[in-house]
Amino acid sequence: MPEQLEQSASGEISRILDEAIAEVLATMFFADLEPAPCTHSPLEHSWMSSAVSARVRFEGTHFGEAVLTISRPAAEEIASAFLGLDKEETSETDCAQVVLELANILCGSVLSRLWPESKLTLSAPVSDAMERGLEGPGHRCFQMPEGNLAWRLSVEGANR
Amino acid sequence: MAYSVLIVDDSAVMRTFIRRVMTLSGFEVGECLEASDGEEALARLRLHPQIDVILTDINMPKMNGEQLLEQLRSDGMLGATKGRILRMISLGADGYITKPFSPEALREELERILGERNAGAA
Repeated sequence: MPEQLEQSASGEISRILDEAIAEVLATMFFADLEPAPCTHSPLEHSWMSSAVSARVRFEGTHFGEAVLTISRPAAEEIASAFLGLDKEETSETDCAQVVLELANILCGSVLSRLWPESKLTLSAPVSDAMERGLEGPGHRCFQMPEGNLAWRLSVEGANR
Repeated sequence: MAYSVLIVDDSAVMRTFIRRVMTLSGFEVGECLEASDGEEALARLRLHPQIDVILTDINMPKMNGEQLLEQLRSDGMLGATKGRILRMISLGADGYITKPFSPEALREELERILGERNAGAA
């Protein structure tokens, strides 16, 4: 039976994930966020209808995927801060590319904290449908000044 | 002293970010070139052998960061260009920095490496 890591299953894992995303956002994307406890299904978040999303798969000693979804206003703020542009200068393509990069960095940061000695390879991040991959109880939500962010790390198995 | 820099990353937004934070952090950048993979980086270096610093990602299509370093060594281009490779994760490079990194951390690592190079050349 594949190992399943649901973020809600462990307070310690949740703490690691929250610390990682806060560090990544603050260090490279110049943004702050706070955990927003959530018991909803992803489909119940109305902001996801226009969100920007990315998916990263990983494999090696563990395998699975991370899915990141950010409301459009928050994605625009993150992209403009990352690129040093005014919001008016930041295109939809810029937003999508920056969210892909954020997903890549975030996934790598979390995995290195969870399994520092592991050997994992990340796939190139891809844009994805907003709620696909967030289904289930494991997604975590965050509140940013400009909007919302949700993400989910799913570990499908481990190679021992 | 302004340094010439080659940024190698398959993400265009990451190249923009690195270029920007080097300037923001006070690191003096002269000529700044970009490449989206190792092959493109080699082509840039053949045309611009005066590059002082190469910052390269590891995971890239076509030719990754490790392969780029190996190629530069086998071609003898490191000595010829006086180049220094800063890889995000290194196997024998002059330094490395892992994401996420702050502008200050990038500047400190660059200054450490270039300080060692300049001391060695003196």
